Amino acid sequence: MNIWPLRFRDLGRGSLLFADDAGGFFKGTEDFLDRYALNALTDEDQAFLHEGGHTFQRELDLSYLGFAYRWCARQAPRRQLGYVILVPTLRCNLTCSYCQVSRAPEGARGFDWTEDTLDAVLAFIGGLAAPEIKIEFQGGEPLLRLDLLERVRDFCRQRFGKAEFVVCTNLQAVSAEAWDYLAAPDTFISTSLDGDAVTHQRQRTRSTELTNAFFGNLDRAIEQFGSSKVSALPTIDIERPPAVDEIISSFVDRGLRSIYLRPINHQGFARRGRDPDVGLDRWNAWHAAFIEHLIERNFRTGTILEEYYFSQCLKRVLRAGADEHVDLRNPNFFASDYLVIDHDGVLYPTDEARMQSRIGRIDLSVGHVHHGIDTEKVATLNAASCNNFDPDCIHCPYQPFCGSDLVDDISRYGRIDLPKQATWFCRRHTSLFDKVFELLYRRDEATRFSLSRWADLESWPEHLVREHQ
Amino acid sequence: MIPLRFAARSSQPEPFVMRLNAEVRAYELDRTGLRTEFDGDLVEVAGQRLTYASPRGTLVIEGTTAEEVDGDVVLALPGGRAAQRLIRATSPHNTFLITERCDQLCLMCSQPPKHHHADLLPFFEAAALLAPAGMTIGISGGEPLLYKAALLPMMQRVLTHRPDLGFHVLSNAQHIDEDDLDPLVGMRDRVLWGIPLYAADAATHDRIVGKSGAFLQLMETLPIFARAGASIELRTVIMRENAALLARLASFVIMHLPFINRWALMQLESIGFGRQNWDRLFFDHSTEFTPIADALNIAKARNVEAVLFNFPRCTVPQPYRDRAPSTISDWKRRYLGECSGCQERDICGGFFEWYPEDRGFQRLARI
Repeated sequence: MNIWPLRFRDLGRGSLLFADDAGGFFKGTEDFLDRYALNALTDEDQAFLHEGGHTFQRELDLSYLGFAYRWCARQAPRRQLGYVILVPTLRCNLTCSYCQVSRAPEGARGFDWTEDTLDAVLAFIGGLAAPEIKIEFQGGEPLLRLDLLERVRDFCRQRFGKAEFVVCTNLQAVSAEAWDYLAAPDTFISTSLDGDAVTHQRQRTRSTELTNAFFGNLDRAIEQFGSSKVSALPTIDIERPPAVDEIISSFVDRGLRSIYLRPINHQGFARRGRDPDVGLDRWNAWHAAFIEHLIERNFRTGTILEEYYFSQCLKRVLRAGADEHVDLRNPNFFASDYLVIDHDGVLYPTDEARMQSRIGRIDLSVGHVHHGIDTEKVATLNAASCNNFDPDCIHCPYQPFCGSDLVDDISRYGRIDLPKQATWFCRRHTSLFDKVFELLYRRDEATRFSLSRWADLESWPEHLVREHQ
Repeated sequence: MIPLRFAARSSQPEPFVMRLNAEVRAYELDRTGLRTEFDGDLVEVAGQRLTYASPRGTLVIEGTTAEEVDGDVVLALPGGRAAQRLIRATSPHNTFLITERCDQLCLMCSQPPKHHHADLLPFFEAAALLAPAGMTIGISGGEPLLYKAALLPMMQRVLTHRPDLGFHVLSNAQHIDEDDLDPLVGMRDRVLWGIPLYAADAATHDRIVGKSGAFLQLMETLPIFARAGASIELRTVIMRENAALLARLASFVIMHLPFINRWALMQLESIGFGRQNWDRLFFDHSTEFTPIADALNIAKARNVEAVLFNFPRCTVPQPYRDRAPSTISDWKRRYLGECSGCQERDICGGFFEWYPEDRGFQRLARI
């Protein structure tokens, strides 16, 4: 019998997590590890490993093919380019403390698409092979150029079989025309809601008047369009996080059931004068406590709230194909299925790459809308966008579930060849997956209630996760 | 029940295939130049006696209407006293019974095998070529692959001539080997193989199918289907014999068979051996759904699609109802007294014609 290589990680109290390259995993003991390492597996060990799909007898037998299929399905496929993030203007009517985009003042000139750029953007989008398109308007504040949004939307609706639009707006100043624009069934709102009103004001709006204007607009949007058309994301300053209950009630009171907690990104203004990894341990602990809070609350109320990113990590542990979050997948090829077009027509693989380039740290642009994608540069970036062969990741049982974030490494450390365990990305995700596995092996009803709903299951089945002595 | 056979009078003692065309269809065939030698046009209607004439013979069919059978493909049976409906033009449930022979003897077989075999393949081939556009045709038995030497080439020919058609084959998959890889590859996107697996352990599976070594043989043939990229619908009839082992089977499926297109968990059909052994086999999921819920959730957690076949919707707890599509073929489906006024009747497959109401589900209620 052949055993696919197992990686392992200490879970404490004498137990270890074992996982193979295809993402098959189980909890085992140190005794088992000894038997595995010393090639002294018992018949029970071998039967257990066989049942779990960790072995094969000969090439191309059923177990072999099952493993091969699961391994392949884990590799995020490159899809057609069908998701384009547009920055029609870099101007903004807010000055948030952590602004991630190197914004421009509302009255500045030269930070909007020209007529020429608009034409080129439409030609570029029109030339895509995908049958469906998703457009995300970023900024700056895109509603400052509603006219450009109108023209892009009109074009895409007529060009594609299905088109969907997300306006990432601060909902600060919404004109009557903008409300009309946002009312369309194919158009969605994404905004920032930094927990409670006090934090939101401190980090974003700065004045009571602006804070009230934002909450007024947010509530109107949800009332008018329903909560399914509005997503709100809190950016958390781990030095001064809002109270967990306050965050939760800000969302629940508005009918929002999914909260995506984002630590202040190490980008733009946010990186000035800070140690790149400051607050990481605090963040990990705070986030884990937030998850526990949700579990307790969900069970007590019989309703479900999720932290979006944690649910995403949980799904990635359980199954292949949970690749919809572009920050967490592997390989994470650039400019393959989505792309950013900046206010000046320059193409970037991600929004973060755009920010890094804007502050002059490194040029991560991958072409221009007039000339198309620079495939040579994309290939250079792609060579480092896969964790399968990283000398640190190959020893980590979380590798099949995890991703890689080359842009974040550059942003924090100016290089991509640090030992992975020394990076913010790795330490944050190690902590997240530790939490996922801690919960997976708990047996209390409260945990299982939340886990099942977060994984889109009706209830938590017995025997879903395996243990071996 | 929708009749699959009519009393008939044929001008020929030999069997032959005919497509039945009422006037509009006959005119359309002439207009488009698509008429074949198998096309028979309606020439006389006398009450419920319909007379059709084709180059191959004349056929009088009794007990139906021209509208009901328009576009159907029938086989005038030997002796000329009956006509079998091979293709019902308006139904999605058409199945060719390739043979009644089988090498397994399943506890719940709905169609117990017989030794006698009549080779109707040439008639089936002709009928398939006359099927309405886009149809998926069932192929069943007995065990159809006992005749794979003729069957696989026949399927290939039909699929080549009719790029719009597909087949859904119910087979125990015991008779596939390396040499069949090429034909399997050739038809992989258009043939769905319905293959039964009843347990993750050989003893239980072999006992249910009545053949020792069947499980091990499946472990040899399933990889061949997988290597061909064949589309597979794994089928598990749930009985008292295997209900408690379902979660284990689910774990086996997600690890060793993750490539299947879907996994069908099926309720028992009370006919054939299923009727004889009903009291011993029937597992009433309406009062004990947990093993099924566990299997569904294990599969869903790992991205394997699992669905419930032949599960009346009211017997399924609400959160799982959307996994219970209408699957009982129209010609053997019925609804009970409880069904009248049910809001979900239209999307529910109802019950088998031969469902035993006095020994069936304990919990039935209109939704």
